[in-house]
Amino acid sequence: MPFPAGKLKNKIALINALSKVLIIALAVFIIPWLVNRVSIREMDKQLISKLDTVYSLVEQYGVDEFINLGGGYQAFGSYNILKEEYISIEKADEKVLYEEIDYSKRKIEGEILDYRVISATIESGGTYYLIEIGKSITSIVRFEKQFRKFTFYFLLVLVGITILIDLFVTQQLLRPFGRIIEKLKRSDHPKNFDYTPVGTSTTDFRYLEENIHGLMRKIETAFNDERDYISNISHELLTPISIIRTKLDNFVNSTKLTDDEMIKIIESKVTLGRLTRLVRTLLLMSRIENEEYLLTDTVDLNELLGQIGVDFTEHFEQKELQFSLSQPDRKTGIRGNSELLHILFFNLVNNAIKYTPEGGWIAINQVFRDGSAIVEVSDNGVGISEENLPKIFSRFKKFQEGENNFGLGLALVKKIADYHHFGIEVFSKPGMGSRFVITIGKPEE
Amino acid sequence: MRILIIEDEKSLAEEIASFLRNEQYQCDLSFTGRDASEKLAVNPYDFVLLDIGLPDYNGLNLIPEAKRFNSEAYFIVITARGELDDKIKGFNSGADDYLAKPFSLLELHSRLQAITRRKFGHASSVIRFGDFALDINKLQLTWQETPVNLTKKEYDLLSYLVLNKGRVLDRLQLVEHIWGSFYEDDFDSNYIEVHIKNIRKKLAEFDPVNRIKTVRGLGYKFEII
Repeated sequence: MPFPAGKLKNKIALINALSKVLIIALAVFIIPWLVNRVSIREMDKQLISKLDTVYSLVEQYGVDEFINLGGGYQAFGSYNILKEEYISIEKADEKVLYEEIDYSKRKIEGEILDYRVISATIESGGTYYLIEIGKSITSIVRFEKQFRKFTFYFLLVLVGITILIDLFVTQQLLRPFGRIIEKLKRSDHPKNFDYTPVGTSTTDFRYLEENIHGLMRKIETAFNDERDYISNISHELLTPISIIRTKLDNFVNSTKLTDDEMIKIIESKVTLGRLTRLVRTLLLMSRIENEEYLLTDTVDLNELLGQIGVDFTEHFEQKELQFSLSQPDRKTGIRGNSELLHILFFNLVNNAIKYTPEGGWIAINQVFRDGSAIVEVSDNGVGISEENLPKIFSRFKKFQEGENNFGLGLALVKKIADYHHFGIEVFSKPGMGSRFVITIGKPEE
Repeated sequence: MRILIIEDEKSLAEEIASFLRNEQYQCDLSFTGRDASEKLAVNPYDFVLLDIGLPDYNGLNLIPEAKRFNSEAYFIVITARGELDDKIKGFNSGADDYLAKPFSLLELHSRLQAITRRKFGHASSVIRFGDFALDINKLQLTWQETPVNLTKKEYDLLSYLVLNKGRVLDRLQLVEHIWGSFYEDDFDSNYIEVHIKNIRKKLAEFDPVNRIKTVRGLGYKFEII
């Protein structure tokens, strides 16, 4: 059955309430109806026994005692004072013998009343007489109305009480389940894993919790293994690089080399430098994936971007690039990891420099939009084609042939932005430059 | 100057030692934490070069231990993890400086020199060339008592060249010196030219002698004339 999404607790409460409303509806209509049926049946019994009495009276005294067609009484009729019952004997129109019980309206002294009437015909001396005994059902109808009202209120109170009890009981029963859910919500990272049992006598919940704990332990072990592995790998890679590096340094220092030989060694060092940065960058990315960086620094965005601008002064000068930085007067404190934030904007600007030809411009715009701090890094460089736009944040993609480029710079930018829950968007057209928009969110006060 | 190199990678340790001996340092080598711990207890050292990734010891635990016997020693921590957490841990545990693997031997040399000069008082912390005085302590350059207005990066580059005077420093070494480790696999080091040009221009305002030589295809060299 399709159910709207929602908490188990609420769903159970909803089902309970609905089923109870259904019960009320049924009870309010069916019970009075049943009562009515029973009363009528009881009344019919009485009517039949009364008819029997009349039969025996007629047999005993003769019908003439009540009705005399030739003489004084054309018909016999008797009511009690409150018109609850009546009996009548008169000449029948048809000469058929029958007995039946039915509802009937009677107008008595200008008043229309509902009766249950038993009618029967008897034959006496060739003449047919009709006997009717009626009993007023007004009281029953009234009783039914009253009863229905009463049942309704009674059930309403009853349902109210049971709903409250249900809510309380399900709440109590589901409390451990709620705690397990809370625990899962907090378990976004192995460092937040909590293995304290929630304490429940419900075996299903206990089983669920034990299984979750089992899975959490597996994740934690895998996480720790992975972290050790990365740390070891990086150590294993960086140490040999380090040895080659020092050997080359020593070689340059202690040997008489021609300039050509020196240039070759320096070229090797440059290549080794690329390898080093590659290993370091991959290591950094894995560390971010492992959430090893705390997002607890408060960084002054104005200062950070100002510093990035200063850092690149010589780059701009070298490529004759116009650089502009526009910032609000208001100090913008953002929460995150200061080292990673620096790398994020550093790489964005470095990327802009890389793809902007000499004489171009690069701009950093720091603005507030809808209460959110936003940084735009734009340039009028080569731009990115539409087909390449979705790929620019992937690792090892590069779009300019012959560049010494592993394409990790922007992948790292994306990774850091995601880690900080920043939005990142790119707008670009080939030949028209690119604009990277980082949506940081509400700044700290 | 006596220096203890604690590094489990023998070939790296020996390479560093060979360079430093050439620079007239007296070098001891330890390949294990246990051995280092013994050496630190019996010998006085001016410098300890410590790789924290030792197989038998948490390298950082060695520092407080060693400081009991070598309270004057200056600790430079080397790490292959190269990230901030370790850096902070390193400084909290008493490390004085920090180098990420792989590092340039000239970078190590300039740091040792700067520390040595600071250690031996005011006079030796000032390096003179012509009428210029480069103060390692105050991070300042003056010409006949007039301060020369250098940016922080310009000062860093100049002092790095000066401390390694007579040696060719390539662009990569210079970039690493002023930026530290950075995370961009493709980084243009040509802009160093601009830095050098700006430094030369600022120095030339006081003294026309060009002491920063361009060594074509290789890098730059500072000559004390």
